Amino acid sequence: MTANLRKEERSLLYYISAYLAVGVITLYLGEPELNRVYQLSLGGGIKLPFWWFVIILSIGTMLGFWLISVYWRLAGFRCDPFLMPITAGLTALGLIFLFRLRPQYAERQFAWLLIGLLALVLITTLMRELDWLADYKYIYVAAGALLLVLPIFFGQEQYGARSWLNLGILQIQPSEFVKILLVLFLASFLAENRRVLATGSDQILGISIPGIREYGPLVVMWGISLLILVFQKDLGTALIYFCTFLAMVYAATARMLYVLIGLVLFFLGGTAAYHIFDHVRSRVDIWLNPWPFLEGKGYQIIQSLFALGSGGIFGSGLGQGMPNLIPAVHTDFIFSAIVEELGLLGGCAILVLYMCFIFRGLMIALAARNDFAALTATGLTALMGLQTFIIIAGVIKLLPMTGVTLPFISYGGSSLVANFVLLGMLLNISHEVNGGNET
Amino acid sequence: MEMKHNIKKLGYFLLCIFVLLILYLSYLVLQQGEELATHPQNRRMAAREAGIIRGTIFDRKGVVLAETKWLGERGKRVYLTENHVSPFAHVVGYVSEKYGSAGLEASFSKELLGLTDADALENLLDKIFNRTPRGHDLVLTLDASLQRTAWQALNGRRGAVVALDPKTGAVLAMVSSPAFDSNAIDQAGVWSRLNRDEENAPLLNRSTQGAYPPGSAFKIVTGSGILARQTARPADTIQCPGYVVVDGNRIADNRAHGKVDFIKALALSCNTYFAREGLKLGWDGLVHTFNQFGLNQSPALGIPVRPGTLAVKERRNRSQLAESSFGQGDTLISPLHMALACSAIANNGVIMKPFLVKEVCKPDGKAVRVTESSIWLTATSPEVAALVKEGMIAAVNWGTASPAAIRGVDVAGKTGTAETKTDRQPNSLPHAWFVGFAPANDPKVVVAVVVEKSGSGSRVAAPIAREVMAAALFRR
Repeated sequence: MTANLRKEERSLLYYISAYLAVGVITLYLGEPELNRVYQLSLGGGIKLPFWWFVIILSIGTMLGFWLISVYWRLAGFRCDPFLMPITAGLTALGLIFLFRLRPQYAERQFAWLLIGLLALVLITTLMRELDWLADYKYIYVAAGALLLVLPIFFGQEQYGARSWLNLGILQIQPSEFVKILLVLFLASFLAENRRVLATGSDQILGISIPGIREYGPLVVMWGISLLILVFQKDLGTALIYFCTFLAMVYAATARMLYVLIGLVLFFLGGTAAYHIFDHVRSRVDIWLNPWPFLEGKGYQIIQSLFALGSGGIFGSGLGQGMPNLIPAVHTDFIFSAIVEELGLLGGCAILVLYMCFIFRGLMIALAARNDFAALTATGLTALMGLQTFIIIAGVIKLLPMTGVTLPFISYGGSSLVANFVLLGMLLNISHEVNGGNET
Repeated sequence: MEMKHNIKKLGYFLLCIFVLLILYLSYLVLQQGEELATHPQNRRMAAREAGIIRGTIFDRKGVVLAETKWLGERGKRVYLTENHVSPFAHVVGYVSEKYGSAGLEASFSKELLGLTDADALENLLDKIFNRTPRGHDLVLTLDASLQRTAWQALNGRRGAVVALDPKTGAVLAMVSSPAFDSNAIDQAGVWSRLNRDEENAPLLNRSTQGAYPPGSAFKIVTGSGILARQTARPADTIQCPGYVVVDGNRIADNRAHGKVDFIKALALSCNTYFAREGLKLGWDGLVHTFNQFGLNQSPALGIPVRPGTLAVKERRNRSQLAESSFGQGDTLISPLHMALACSAIANNGVIMKPFLVKEVCKPDGKAVRVTESSIWLTATSPEVAALVKEGMIAAVNWGTASPAAIRGVDVAGKTGTAETKTDRQPNSLPHAWFVGFAPANDPKVVVAVVVEKSGSGSRVAAPIAREVMAAALFRR
């Protein structure tokens, strides 16, 4: 069985490789004169022609994914065969656009990708059995809170958010990893208490309400993380935490009441934040009408809209647009660059890929053997889906812009590694579903 | 397990929000894409333009109005000018790196640069063979010599002239004065000077955006309404004592006209007749007629057009109605709209869709797009149009419009003298108006003329119209 799964996975990876190759060739045909000498910044002064650099990194990426698939076959790992090729496709696309937009970042991204792939191998080797994770839920709270507090004291501010830790050569964004801890905590807590939360132990005004013991820790955890994030000014991450929280509570209890209370709280909190915090107010004002701020704080979103509108249905073609007019195009706004050059169709194709990821993730959750595994898979998948939705809705001005990365595509080391950890845990659950280590 | 059920529902929710993303993205790209792509602040267009030879703009006979001359590495746009002023400045417009673009240069940018969807293959081939891409040419309906005649007739006075072919809708001349030098837009100080000059407003296209009270020229519209609604028969007469009293307000006429029927009222421009008949027509009838003649619409010409307006609803009382019936009160209309209304009278009640661009051509002259003339509106019936025409012929033969008469040609015309006196400017001269067409039995050209604050329509505007009509008829 594992042989068949892995064979399917590898055959999908070949398509992704072909896709990456076509991307690289297109870029080369567009600008062959770019072939100046390129000096590696991480490689100790090694110099090589630019296109060699591109080809080496591309082959390295696909080889990495392929080797993992081979390794899984040998190690008898029986995970879902679609998730990794989807991820590989998104990563390949991100790499192509980094080559095109900021080659020097492609190198760093590749280094992070190797770390991410290593994390994937370690997790799928050492943590195949996930259930023991359910026992340490308060450790996640402590670790998560610590990780979130650290940048407030030792952190660096980038792009207006104070959420980076500087570790010499590496910069880490702890909130990316705390997301996963949040899901693990919620999954174990909800798995344990969900029956009480769903039916309630006390009654107020005829509505059954669970006791403070049951929902207290939830509210505290959620409140602490939001407060800290507001002080870090990282609105996007706060929004993702909050939505993931609501999604998991709903999945565990099926009570719309909690979701409604959550939305009311969110609305009140949002209104308060709008009046208290300048950076929140300006984000909302820009969203409502960016045009008066064309030369100032609305510049970025308007450049993003120009890029989206200039692409048309088929796009300008890879390398033929001018997405570099958008500030921070390689991180938060990479989707606009993709739509400008690959068109509406390219943009929709990416959305469909993410939808496939969500579909496979929830299928794993539906087949999971116990509540903890099901809730973990649901939470991780919802996290991925909501983050994608929030950033894309931001760059197309459907929602106010909140700076988060587009999973697997945007430049951003912590985010990439954290997403591979997320992928690894989903795959472990699906390994369990497909029979696990026995037989 | 009921949790599975919840997870499925969550899945549907996530699916829905992603579908929402796809829908909104499609809306953004398909509905707003064009506007965003060609937004003046979007630097993509300018960057692409730098490597493209912009197409040439010709008049209907092949006179070059705008062309790009290649000077070394850069193209320079050169416009036809006369003594450092361009009579075509408002219609053709300009392209400037600093100030964006205007006029047909702006609205036909895609064609002039060859960037329409149909050009994609050609552009790809250009890229492969490393050729400098060249945009399409425009052939306008304007006649350069007629335009020059109108420009010289205005002789620097503030005003506008519009000439149309009533049978096709082709705009033959469109002059707004004062104009500016389209070649000098980028020169130091010019732009701010043009924008500062509020009195002359040289950047304003008076022919399509000017908001003038039309005065008695509007009687051709009111007259059509009266006849169409049959609130009066053409032969019905009234007694004109030289004034009319409406709700206690005495509205003076230019003189006492005595016994007046429809034809005589048009010929002698009797305000009393139109005030009384306008009151019978009512606001409903007047607004309906106004809309029937397309005065409230902006035809898609490729340049900005200000739709005409009547008094706002709150101000629509009886004395406002009486004054609006002869083109005073709060009525404001552009010269283009008056020319279109007049073309309905010339063309048996039908207004052809006006257009400025006759053809879009490839550099070798092969047309990619030809504008077909089509009916824009049916303003009134042929019978009504014939009666109004009879009144306009009478106005030229023995009435107020006689300075527009051309020997050997039947001319139909109507003057307007629109009062501009206000409490602050008690000595302000009236706007001089003329609308008309010739030959009356087989109209070849419709003309509308306005000269701001210059005197009576018959003394100032009619001679200009006469000159333009004669040039259009005899200098073919």
